Amino acid sequence: MTLSYVPGDTLAHRLDPRSKLCFQVAFAAAAYAYTTPRGLAALTVVAAGALIVAGGGPRSLWSYRFAFPFLLVAPLVAGGTLGDPWFRIDRAVETTLASYRVLLVLAVAAAYVRSTPVRDSRAALQRTVPGRFGVMAGVGVSLVFRFLPLLTRDLTSAREAIAARGGEQVAVHVRMRLVATAGINRAFERADRLGVALSARCFAWNPTLPRLAFGRFDGLVLAISAGLVVVAIV
Amino acid sequence: METRTEGVDLVGDDVAINLARASLFAAVVGAFAYVSFPFPLSPAPVTLQVLGVFLAGIFLGPVWGGVALLLYLAAGALGAPIFSGGSAGLGSLLAEPTLGYLWAYPIAAMVVGGIVHRGTTLRDRQEIGLPTLVGAMVAGTVVIYTFGVLAMAAVLALTLPEAFLQGAVVFLPAEAAKIVAAVGIVRSDAIAAT
Repeated sequence: MTLSYVPGDTLAHRLDPRSKLCFQVAFAAAAYAYTTPRGLAALTVVAAGALIVAGGGPRSLWSYRFAFPFLLVAPLVAGGTLGDPWFRIDRAVETTLASYRVLLVLAVAAAYVRSTPVRDSRAALQRTVPGRFGVMAGVGVSLVFRFLPLLTRDLTSAREAIAARGGEQVAVHVRMRLVATAGINRAFERADRLGVALSARCFAWNPTLPRLAFGRFDGLVLAISAGLVVVAIV
Repeated sequence: METRTEGVDLVGDDVAINLARASLFAAVVGAFAYVSFPFPLSPAPVTLQVLGVFLAGIFLGPVWGGVALLLYLAAGALGAPIFSGGSAGLGSLLAEPTLGYLWAYPIAAMVVGGIVHRGTTLRDRQEIGLPTLVGAMVAGTVVIYTFGVLAMAAVLALTLPEAFLQGAVVFLPAEAAKIVAAVGIVRSDAIAAT
């Protein structure tokens, strides 16, 4: 199960994407500044609150499962020593707290992903980054979202075709080359058609974006974000 | 009802094509996260994302290759499921132990592109010598792993040797296989794009 936007009408869904992005950065700053048992306990309440407000739960963290082995092994690597005393509990505890901090920041990020549609994210990016860089970033990001499923399917079918011809027997670097060649050729074909289509349809530097507006709750979220940054710095 | 009239400021054809290519390259690097190869010695299956970074620098050059990887990071941060294992979100760039590898991707694409093309103007791929090609990708790998190991040490409160042990040693042989694969791709004429 991948983490993705889930339509809904929760408080988090109604917030402006820009305030949600500010909140994530502020939360991460506070988490880095207070990687102590008490600090992390308080931030656990905030992170769980953010995830619940977005309609998520522990299952939302499942898409980060590939990071879990790193987080679990790190305390052992940190605590282990090559001589007496063989294991230092203080270092293992320090790294355990750091690993837990990662989970909290990921929970807040999951809340954003669940509650923010792509078009709102794009508008936030385009309105925040000034000028033509902002337009390119906005267009580029929405194209990545649009074409990811197609290119993933291209790669899957290339892989199946290679396997059907006995390709699983050849060396791994040859398989990598075959799959990557297929994927990149398809990406270039699609990109060149897309580029022509964009020009043909008056691709402009001043497109119409969805309206974004800060509401009452955005003020609250921004105030909390400012508070988190202040406690992180002080 | 209020009516607004504005001129339309069109994007030039060159920029439109390059932006389309950079975006699609970003998407293919994201799609590479879903293609994993079991690899001897490696505790986790190896994906092709770093190969995508090398090829972005080689095929798009330092400027648009860098843009492609910046778009990859931005799209992932905003929720596209393109980081390792199909994860997404700004948290991966702010707190995950592997954040250094991700932030290094655009820089590595620029380094690879800059070395291979000796500047920002794209050279014909057939003119690129083998030592330049391999040297560029080795430099890209060094950039990615330097950022990756430093960030892992910082995020997980590890010493540098511990972070190197956990985040680099077991993955480096797979990078060598990707460099061999990339040389094969660039030299084979299999990619039709110019």
